[in-house]
Amino acid sequence: MAEPVSHVTAQMPRAKLAGLLLFFLGPAVVIYTLFSIYPLVATMALSTYTSDPSGSRSFVGLANFRTLLGDALWSKPFWNALGNNLIFFIVHMCVQNPVGIALAGLLSLPGVRLKGFYRTVMFLPTMLSVVIVGFSWNLILSPLWGVASGALKAVGLGSLFAPWLGLESSALVTLSLISVWQFVGIPMMLIYAALLNIPEELIDAARVDGLGQFRIFFHIKLPLVLPTISLVSVLTFVANFNAFDLIYSVKGALAGPNFATDILGTFFYRTFFGNQLQLGNPTMGAAVATVMFFIILLGLCLYLFLVQRRIRRYAF
Amino acid sequence: MANLRIEQLNKRYGATTVLNDVNLSIEDGEFVVLVGPSGCGKSTLLRMIAGLDGASGGDIHIAGKLVNTLAPAERGIAMVFQSYALYPHMNVRKNMTFGLKFTGVPPTERERRVAEAARMLRLEELLERYPRDLSGGQRQRVAIGRAIVREPAVFLFDEPLSNLDAALRVSTRVEIANLHRLLKSTIVYVTHDQVEAMTLADRIVVMNKGCIEQVGKPLDLYYEPANLFVAGFIGSPAMNFFEAEVKGIEGGRARVTGAAFRDLDIPAASLKVGDRLTVGVRPEHLVRGEAGAFIAEGVVELVERLGEASFAYLRRADGRMFVAEVRGRRTPAPGETVTLVAAGPDVHVFDASGLRLAT
Ligand SMILES: Nc1ncnc2c1ncn2[C@@H]1O[C@H](COP(=O)(O)OP(=O)(O)O)[C@@H](O)[C@H]1O
Ligand SMILES: [Mg+2]
Repeated sequence: MAEPVSHVTAQMPRAKLAGLLLFFLGPAVVIYTLFSIYPLVATMALSTYTSDPSGSRSFVGLANFRTLLGDALWSKPFWNALGNNLIFFIVHMCVQNPVGIALAGLLSLPGVRLKGFYRTVMFLPTMLSVVIVGFSWNLILSPLWGVASGALKAVGLGSLFAPWLGLESSALVTLSLISVWQFVGIPMMLIYAALLNIPEELIDAARVDGLGQFRIFFHIKLPLVLPTISLVSVLTFVANFNAFDLIYSVKGALAGPNFATDILGTFFYRTFFGNQLQLGNPTMGAAVATVMFFIILLGLCLYLFLVQRRIRRYAF
Repeated sequence: MANLRIEQLNKRYGATTVLNDVNLSIEDGEFVVLVGPSGCGKSTLLRMIAGLDGASGGDIHIAGKLVNTLAPAERGIAMVFQSYALYPHMNVRKNMTFGLKFTGVPPTERERRVAEAARMLRLEELLERYPRDLSGGQRQRVAIGRAIVREPAVFLFDEPLSNLDAALRVSTRVEIANLHRLLKSTIVYVTHDQVEAMTLADRIVVMNKGCIEQVGKPLDLYYEPANLFVAGFIGSPAMNFFEAEVKGIEGGRARVTGAAFRDLDIPAASLKVGDRLTVGVRPEHLVRGEAGAFIAEGVVELVERLGEASFAYLRRADGRMFVAEVRGRRTPAPGETVTLVAAGPDVHVFDASGLRLAT
């Protein structure tokens, strides 16, 4: 049997060990530091400064955060965007993930024909550019020349049609559903892969035990892919804060109507880069980005401590 | 407990035939072992009995009832899988009761059955454990327990011992034999291991390439193999085969000659001069001597000493090898030329199509 690595490294001269560590860990550390840690720290540092119209910066401590959360001019759009993010997230959790799980379950049934075809078709939107998806749905749902109203009329449901993307009450949910439509392929594929990992004999044993396909899914398959489902939930949570492009391409930076679709991504964009009459304010933008970072961190910590520790992975 | 009848069963995947016209009748309470080389269709046959795979043709009757269209759970069977297939997210107790919940067994009855199976299989201490915390042998017993609590008419085992180490395999084999004695249920047991087949079976079904070659009691298969395949498959080391030809027929006896043995006399029956035959003798039936129905010479090349017996590998006159069992402490030395003989009843003669002739 080979010697354990810890023995080998213990006997190595320190200089040689350091060289070895540098060789294996160095590249990753350099890249990670350069492109992840440095920007993060720089952003946090920037958020503690303010710049006057002449362009010179001065240190203000946590004043930017006080403004962001305390000054109604800033806090109102901030809380609005955070609330919208929450709705965006809930729609994804309640629609995208269950639909993804259901599609994966259907694909994993024995004897489904054209599996490869369905899999590709359902994954296709994920590979499209968000700009194209946003533009297409804008056209489809347009009350003037969209096919949606005509299609509904054709099946006698014309009265149900409304300019969903234009109404304050429905714009955000509509955009969320467009995003769900585009990205449902990702949870589907991840969960499908996990389902394929379940041994055939286990399913056979359940069949001998008298379970139908539906019960097999709920009592056997679902519990066994729970770790993947929780992973998908985390991905959904993080992606939700990165969402920006769809809203920007469909609604522009103002996230209308009347900021009904404004999420933290678009709010940050307007703050940092400016928009129309609003001047760009990099230091306030950095403060928004820092708050977003801590919200994501909090969410992940809650997940790690409350959920991850209770979930068991099964080796087959 | 029930009998099992299989008629004209066929299984095809596209153009490949996996099972070809299988007919088999199993009595109530019988322990039948399906044995054959890997890929011969044993698992397929078992899965079709279980209802996990559909048939391409033919009928299966369990307890006199045609079950072709019934779901696995409605057939009154229980199956033990090669990988055990325990539910990893349920403890031992739950693994055993899980199936009963869906077949309408009331909770008190479920508990009674689990307690009884646990006692029988010495699982009482393990009921709250999860499969990941069990050893291979314990998992195997849980898998058997899960089958027992279903109180099936027929137990189906698919190579249940092949994932166990050698020592555990022997002790589990004994346990399964005891279990059968206790439960008196019908068992169909698949293995590719002839020792398991010989030790466990009331009757053995030897399969090859999707067909049944022979069905019979273990010792009947050993002493009276129906054909070349069964003769070569049952017994370890395998039977020695010698090419032969009918040289002459005189007074109801045929004189059989071959390059590697001295002439042999067998009943002529319907043999003709020039017929090609195969003569088979088991290594354990060859002894050193000068006179016997079958006499062959060989030069010892290698001796394997196992303790209770040794196996001598000999080069024979036609250049091929054959094996003889040697008992006792004195084994021939490599290079030595020895003469080996076998008694008449131990000499098997097969015709050109592989069927055994009466001798
Ligand atoms: N789904 C399938 N499609 C095509 N061939 C199959 C399928 N399942 C099994 N076979 C073939 O059937 C034959 C018998 O398989 P099996 O019953 O598993 O053999 P074994 O006797 O080793 O248990 C094998 O040659 C295998 O390749
Ligand atoms: Mg098999």
